Amino acid sequence: MKEHKTEKSSRLSSFIEGRWGWFIVIIGLLAVAGIKLVTEESEFLLRSQEMNLWLPTGLYWKTLMQYPGGAVSWLATYLTQYFYHPWMGVSILCGLWLIICLLITWIYQLKGPWVALTALVPLALLACIVQTGYWIFYQKLPGHLFVPTIGVLFAVLCMAIQHILDLSLPSKVARWIRLVWMTFVCIIGYPFFGAWALGATGLLAALPPTPSRLPLSSMRLWIRLILAILLIAAIPQIYYQRLFEMTFRDFVYVAALPSMRYSQDSFEQYRLPYYAIIAAFLILIPIAWCSAVASRQPASSTAGRVRGVFATKHFWLAPIITLILLCAAVFGVSKAWYHDVNFQKELAMNRAVEDLDWERVLTIARDGSTTVRPTRQMVMYKNLALFRLGRAGNEMFDYPEGSTPQNAPWKVRITQVGGKLIYYHYGKENFCYRWCMEDGVEFGWKAETLKFMARTSLLNREWTAARKYLDLLKKTTFHREWAERYEKLLSTPDAFDLQKAEAAAKAGKPLLDEQMTREFLPIMHMMTYPDRLDGDNTLVEMYLLQTFAHGNGDDPLFQEMTLICALIMKDIDIFWPRFMKYASMNPNVHMPRHYQEAAYLYGHLENKVDISHMPFDKSTKETYDRFMKFNEQCGAMTEEQKAVAFYPQFGNTFYYFYFLVRNQKTN
Amino acid sequence: MFPHYHHIKYFSFVAMLSQLFFLSSCTSPSVPEHFTESQDFPSIYPDYIGVTVPVNIAPLHFHIDADASATDFVTRFTAGDQQWTVGGEDVRPGLKKWQQMKAAALTAEGNISVEVFIKSQDAWQRQKPFDITVSKDSIDPYISYRLISPSYVTYEDLTINQRCLENFDESLIYGNMINSDEENGQCINCHHSQWYNPQRIQFHVRQYLGGTIIAFDGKLQKINLKTDSTLSAGVYPTWYPTKPWIVYSTNSTGQSFHTRDVQKIEVQDTKSNLIFYNLETNEVTPITRDTTRFDCFPFWSPDGKYIYYVSAQWQRRDSTEQMDFELIKHYKEVQYNLYRMPFDEQTLTFGPRELIYDAVARNRSVTLPRISPDGRWLMFTEGQFGVFHIWHNTADLFLMDLTQAAPVEPTPVAIFSPNSLPASVLPPMANNVQRENIADSLREAQGLRTPLPAAIRPISELNSPDVESWHCWSSNGHWVIFSSRRTDGNFTRPFIAHHDGNGHFTRPFELPQDNPQYHRQFLRSYNIPEFLSGPVTIRPQDFAALIKKEATPAQLKMK
Repeated sequence: MKEHKTEKSSRLSSFIEGRWGWFIVIIGLLAVAGIKLVTEESEFLLRSQEMNLWLPTGLYWKTLMQYPGGAVSWLATYLTQYFYHPWMGVSILCGLWLIICLLITWIYQLKGPWVALTALVPLALLACIVQTGYWIFYQKLPGHLFVPTIGVLFAVLCMAIQHILDLSLPSKVARWIRLVWMTFVCIIGYPFFGAWALGATGLLAALPPTPSRLPLSSMRLWIRLILAILLIAAIPQIYYQRLFEMTFRDFVYVAALPSMRYSQDSFEQYRLPYYAIIAAFLILIPIAWCSAVASRQPASSTAGRVRGVFATKHFWLAPIITLILLCAAVFGVSKAWYHDVNFQKELAMNRAVEDLDWERVLTIARDGSTTVRPTRQMVMYKNLALFRLGRAGNEMFDYPEGSTPQNAPWKVRITQVGGKLIYYHYGKENFCYRWCMEDGVEFGWKAETLKFMARTSLLNREWTAARKYLDLLKKTTFHREWAERYEKLLSTPDAFDLQKAEAAAKAGKPLLDEQMTREFLPIMHMMTYPDRLDGDNTLVEMYLLQTFAHGNGDDPLFQEMTLICALIMKDIDIFWPRFMKYASMNPNVHMPRHYQEAAYLYGHLENKVDISHMPFDKSTKETYDRFMKFNEQCGAMTEEQKAVAFYPQFGNTFYYFYFLVRNQKTN
Repeated sequence: MFPHYHHIKYFSFVAMLSQLFFLSSCTSPSVPEHFTESQDFPSIYPDYIGVTVPVNIAPLHFHIDADASATDFVTRFTAGDQQWTVGGEDVRPGLKKWQQMKAAALTAEGNISVEVFIKSQDAWQRQKPFDITVSKDSIDPYISYRLISPSYVTYEDLTINQRCLENFDESLIYGNMINSDEENGQCINCHHSQWYNPQRIQFHVRQYLGGTIIAFDGKLQKINLKTDSTLSAGVYPTWYPTKPWIVYSTNSTGQSFHTRDVQKIEVQDTKSNLIFYNLETNEVTPITRDTTRFDCFPFWSPDGKYIYYVSAQWQRRDSTEQMDFELIKHYKEVQYNLYRMPFDEQTLTFGPRELIYDAVARNRSVTLPRISPDGRWLMFTEGQFGVFHIWHNTADLFLMDLTQAAPVEPTPVAIFSPNSLPASVLPPMANNVQRENIADSLREAQGLRTPLPAAIRPISELNSPDVESWHCWSSNGHWVIFSSRRTDGNFTRPFIAHHDGNGHFTRPFELPQDNPQYHRQFLRSYNIPEFLSGPVTIRPQDFAALIKKEATPAQLKMK
């Protein structure tokens, strides 16, 4: 019985002390992370690669290399491209994380449960990614999603090379080579890997020797540490003085790290995952030292007692510590993970608009699985979709209204998030182009901005400019096909002349294929307004409302937009001429419900326009009467109470919008 | 997309290794024995067909734009009795071969003949050969320029660079990111040297750590040129040819955005005057202070006797409206004439202004007067309206023969507007530029617009349908460099042309780059290209250290 118990205990002990069992834990964690990324963050990853640009040109490389750490960004932007197929990008990411774990295990000679602790590093790297949220629009570090992974991989590979040298060189030579290698990594690595090379220098200084090289004299250890400190302190300053002429001096020690600053604010909470990477190594390094020292000492010595922790007698201690730390790390990741339903919806709606899938935009807008009110960005996407489907006049108030601010600790501007897409589809091509240029300068060039610049140039009939942007996109791995599709349009300039395009379409010989016609023709209709000097003060929605509401066009599509905006602006004086013009331009069209409601309401409110002869629908009048009657019944209620009480019956009417939807603050 | 720096030689090692690898794996290309002839010149970028280049210019690398069926390319250069062949669609003979070609061309008739052979569907075709003429007139070895994205309010990665014209070396004079972070942005502009001297330069830093940076014979200073009695700090500068004196315009400038026009942006002054700055005494003296006039873009004549500048008269239309809104509304009515003022070197005073060219009477607006070093030729930019012609696609270069020019009396004219003409005379499909030109021709025929003075001509050999502006003469007067948007309509590129000394220019060529497609990929504009007799040797870090210090306030001196 006792023998059986001992045997069982021994088997358990050997399982726990073995490496490969714990690798299953790592693989399991990575698999879960990968699956969660693909299933929950696909929209985010897709948009990330649109907000990324990698070009196989010398110019691109040299541009990144103006700043220390350019090579990390170069590699990271290259890999970020693969999020074009989220599963592919995530597979690469998880693969790199697994390599990092394997290398750390090998370098630190970890055994047993401690092996699983290497997962702390990829968990911290995962947190760097999943915390991002609206930073994807504001992050200035190219390839920021992959940068930490590449940076850590570089540092680990530097340690791996040192480990190989330790194993293969004679002791005396290895001692010196270690100092030389550390110096080499810092001096040569810094321009390419920035702060990650400084981190690698630190890790090399703290790298435990192979057991055969023990005991290590404290003198040698001190020399190594002092040299590392000197290198880390001096090398960035020397490079600042001699090579990097565009780097702010305060940033030389954090080169190739995301700044997590926007405007005047610095957001420390977003730096926590980066500190977690350091913390992971601070946990692993002492374990590696203890492991190395203990493996060389007899059990009676102090070091041997340390080894006791790893011995069968206390075999339960290591797994418990490991599991506690891993659980804490997983908890940390879950806390860092950015979950925001509006963010996800904005991303999904943006993609649906890009796909010209207007019904999908509306399906997302209609989604009632949450009580969170929409952002203005979402409302604008919804209005655009309805407008494109020709249903705005009947359905624009069927969807939840709201002005929930974007969930970020800084003021998110629509111009940076979806404003360019909105401007593009409403025919404000110069403003779309302008914000692409502004963002390109401030946050770096992206595939997304180049695509807009190419398309706005086509619509503005700036062929050479369009070619320039398309040529750049043709150099990318995944946007080449897109660029080639639009490049064909350069040979059909008449397609961008509205009159010619329409005449050709009427003659049954359209100049563009169906998809391109669906994209460009409505935009060309929206561009039928005269030039003027203007400015949007970064307020996309307000600018569009003001300019359309005060606009006056003879194009039916443009004209309807002026009416819609007059409606949303609740400006009675502007409304009437647009309403009349709409009626005269569309004599055979049944007047949409909301336009009728507005006319009926304004007619009663002001009595300036005689509405008695207008053929309002019965339902328009009945709803108005019911609304007014209900209003009398709720006379004692506050406006907020009324907004709630009226919503079930009247939430989808202009009457409700006019009286009870207020203070929609746009950004 | 982005700049390159010869300072990063460190990283060129990798590129060199890869080049060596490719070179070792290639054999020297040979010209095909059998080929057909094309009657067309090859389509190449940059377009170097029929250009004249200085003897000391960097190699003219170019890219052959061929259709997808082209599989092989050979280019043969012939100068005198020597020949060189280069393979590939990127034709990059390199510095050594190029030196040999130029030397051989100069000993012969001055021409390098270029033949491009393209193989397509297993058959070779020779494109129509063209010549590159090598001139014995050398060019100043360096140019300086600002690299800026044609953005509107953002300005990260703004740099003032210098480029050696004899090779492809480019380096930074100063870049704004060395002193900028997310919170504190910095704009840099208006670099200018005294008579091509790289030891005597100035540029401005705006916003964060702002001031005017002046390097004069090794002495570095940061000056605050704004005084209580002047409109702003110095803006557009011009050095006196020999003394440490600079005349600046002071400007209150705004910008707004076109909603439809592809010119996209309009930069306007709501006020502008001229000031005189004496570096020796650190004193600023206002020169002009008329609030109804906008004086801008001063340029000192090479003999120092005159300041040439442009000026617009502006009478308020509606004094109740804010000035900038009024100007935005009437932006096409702001037009500048060319003036000059005599300068007395003894008393440091300026005489009364003289109108040199009444452009307003021609419904035109002039900017950027620049005089050739021999003092005979004045080149300026003329456009339809306004002062910031780099955004106006009507902007062209004009040349005035100062030996034939004399002060003129202003012609009273009505405000021009295309709407003042009946719509029936203007073709409906014409763009704005075409409509304005047609309208002006009609006005001229009706005597409503004065003809172009005999001393002035548009430099048609340099102009394109797009923008030309920001020109500069070389120190020997045989070359000009100017900015043009002709390549893609959005990004300005420097072009160089030869001047024969008699007011005639050759076909301009785009600044050569090692990678011939560099400018196609580059997403920044070249701003204010100016010749330098050598490199600026002050390091960007030294400028950065100076800029971090407080600016020395200039003292106001009233005359």
